[in-house]
Amino acid sequence: MTPGGYLAFIFHAHLPYVRHPEYQQSLEEKWFFEALTECYIPLLRVFQGLAADHIDYAVTFSLSPTLLSMLEDPFLQERYATYLAGLQELARKEEARTAGDPLFSPLAAMYRERLDYAAYLFHEKYAKRLVNAFRELQDQGKVEIITSAATHGYLPLLAVQREAVYAQLVTGIDCYRQIFGTPPRGIWLPECAYDPVLEDILGELGLQYFVTATHGVLYASPRPKYGVYSPILTPGGLAAFGRDPETSHQVWSAKEGYPGDYFYREFYRDIGYDLEMEYIGEHLHPAYLRGNTGFKYYRITGPGEHKEVYNQRLALQKAWDHAANFKFNREKQLEYYGGVMDRPPLVVAPYDAELFGHWWFEGPQWLDYLCRMLHGQQFLQLITPGQYLDQGYTLQLSTPNISSWGDKGYHEVWLNARNDWLYRHLHHAAERMIEMATGHPRAEGAVKEALTQAARELLLAQSSDWPFIMTAGTMDRYAETRVSKHLLRFLALDRQIREEKIDLPWLRSIAAADNLFPELDYRVFQSLESTVPVEKGELEKAGSKRA
Amino acid sequence: MILKVRASAVEGLSPAEKLPLFYGKDRLILLTRDPYWLYTYWEVTPAARQRLEKEGQRCWEHLSLALRVKRYADSAMLKEESCYHLPINHTADNWCLEVGVPDRYYQVELGAQVPGKGFIALLCSNMVKTPRDEMSSLIDENWRLPDWQAKRLYRRITRGSISSLEMSAWGGGSIIPERREKN
Repeated sequence: MTPGGYLAFIFHAHLPYVRHPEYQQSLEEKWFFEALTECYIPLLRVFQGLAADHIDYAVTFSLSPTLLSMLEDPFLQERYATYLAGLQELARKEEARTAGDPLFSPLAAMYRERLDYAAYLFHEKYAKRLVNAFRELQDQGKVEIITSAATHGYLPLLAVQREAVYAQLVTGIDCYRQIFGTPPRGIWLPECAYDPVLEDILGELGLQYFVTATHGVLYASPRPKYGVYSPILTPGGLAAFGRDPETSHQVWSAKEGYPGDYFYREFYRDIGYDLEMEYIGEHLHPAYLRGNTGFKYYRITGPGEHKEVYNQRLALQKAWDHAANFKFNREKQLEYYGGVMDRPPLVVAPYDAELFGHWWFEGPQWLDYLCRMLHGQQFLQLITPGQYLDQGYTLQLSTPNISSWGDKGYHEVWLNARNDWLYRHLHHAAERMIEMATGHPRAEGAVKEALTQAARELLLAQSSDWPFIMTAGTMDRYAETRVSKHLLRFLALDRQIREEKIDLPWLRSIAAADNLFPELDYRVFQSLESTVPVEKGELEKAGSKRA
Repeated sequence: MILKVRASAVEGLSPAEKLPLFYGKDRLILLTRDPYWLYTYWEVTPAARQRLEKEGQRCWEHLSLALRVKRYADSAMLKEESCYHLPINHTADNWCLEVGVPDRYYQVELGAQVPGKGFIALLCSNMVKTPRDEMSSLIDENWRLPDWQAKRLYRRITRGSISSLEMSAWGGGSIIPERREKN
């Protein structure tokens, strides 16, 4: 039976490539560890719980290639094991410290249980390879996993050289194929940043869909008859799904959205700041540097400084209420739009995965409740973009509008006075990389190693995270250092290749440090005019015949 | 125990290592920021400077340098909708341009206003488009079933690296037709 409408949740999971073996502990690796402990593992727990209870659900997860690479990196897996063990030890200390306290003791127990589960999932169930958990969910048909650009490059601002766009996209797709064994159906354009100049490259990579900001589809031309409630078919032959503004506001807005409810957990009160250094110091990361531990005992309470102790039961009741409210609002929304459409309307609700569990502690539980409420419902059904396309609806031909999901909706977050200096360097490096790759179509030995590392350094420099962090003004020194480091390494490699004086020990030391995409083929940067597109399957068949 | 932390580090770089100020190549690049603003940056090599100084018969510092901002209704750039000159100073190497009209194509030239000769262009930028800031006025409903069969993963390889015999052995149709135009 055809439902009244569909709801597509898309969780975008991404972190820049942060790996610092040169330090015993680094603040930036903690971003990754926190995301694992507080977001990805709790979300996996929700999905696995739903599957175990035979709840019918469907969600989409985009796992960025840098995040996938970090999840699969043995060095970071070991470091996470140490980080997690440290938190488990802190949890036991916290249970002892709060023993007998009717308010705090249950909270310490809650954290201990969550951390023990994280350790079980990480060590026992998946032997440190959490990617397998995502693969299992995809194999069950419950979760659709899509890819993103290699290092989350902000494609419209890199598109001065189309080869840079191709290299970002094809490397991201290759990373996905190597890990999941199949090509991705969809792609998350970093920051939802779209420009029609991307179309000819998007169109040759076997991709079926991407997601845009609301006005990416709403302001498309010709005007989409159904607004964002049905995807459009772009000039490259892909479906563009537009973000629904209502669902975005309800979950994202810290003031009016669900996460700001006074009964939910307060993010900014953490024992990492509240307790004596003598007690907490060795559990901080880096040690003895004040920061979050994840142990937070208070609820938002209100706008002032005064905070009441968190009550999990009341918070979960709120999460249930909010799930019911979300369901009610979607039903009304779909009922309204369904009345003027010749097909069930689709609400597309994309979120940063890191919102769920980290910033909005109860977010994963909210999602769990919502999926359970929707189980067996006829009117409103969860769906993935791929499943929606499988329904076989015709799509309106239209070209999306230039847009992003950043502040003000266009490119300003990634192009302003704080970060615009970056682009002359990125464009120069891309131009040089194209020249080098085109000039060396069959490099071998040290030259090939140097070209491959140059491509890797350029990709790392292109990450959208660096200009974003510069705009935000937090950790901007780190972002500037990272981007400069990768560009300077690139320029040094460029010089060494031109002068035929490759410093192999240095090259191998930086290749060991910046080691993502081990299968990277530097020729992804060859000029488009010097290359010809061939179907990948045919190429592989030819390769095996030759072998 | 205080561990070595990353917070202060510019690791792997000596303080002397900075990104170059110049790359020795003439370049004028235009980027879109939003429906009303563009951003442009440039590099002018000494040789190009000399060319303009010769044309303008003045040293660089005394030339009336300007950006010529041209607006078009379509990407073919057949009909110029507007064109204006924006004076710039001699030390600038980038500029934010308030162009003010969404959904239009733009191109910029860097040059100098020379008495008796008008504007002499030294560098010409790429073309960009500003986004729409409202719904499209174009109502044209054309609906189609997506052709997923045609959506295969193509991979770019070097021209000439496979023989036509190999291509025909794979079924011939696996190379997609070239749809590109040169910039």
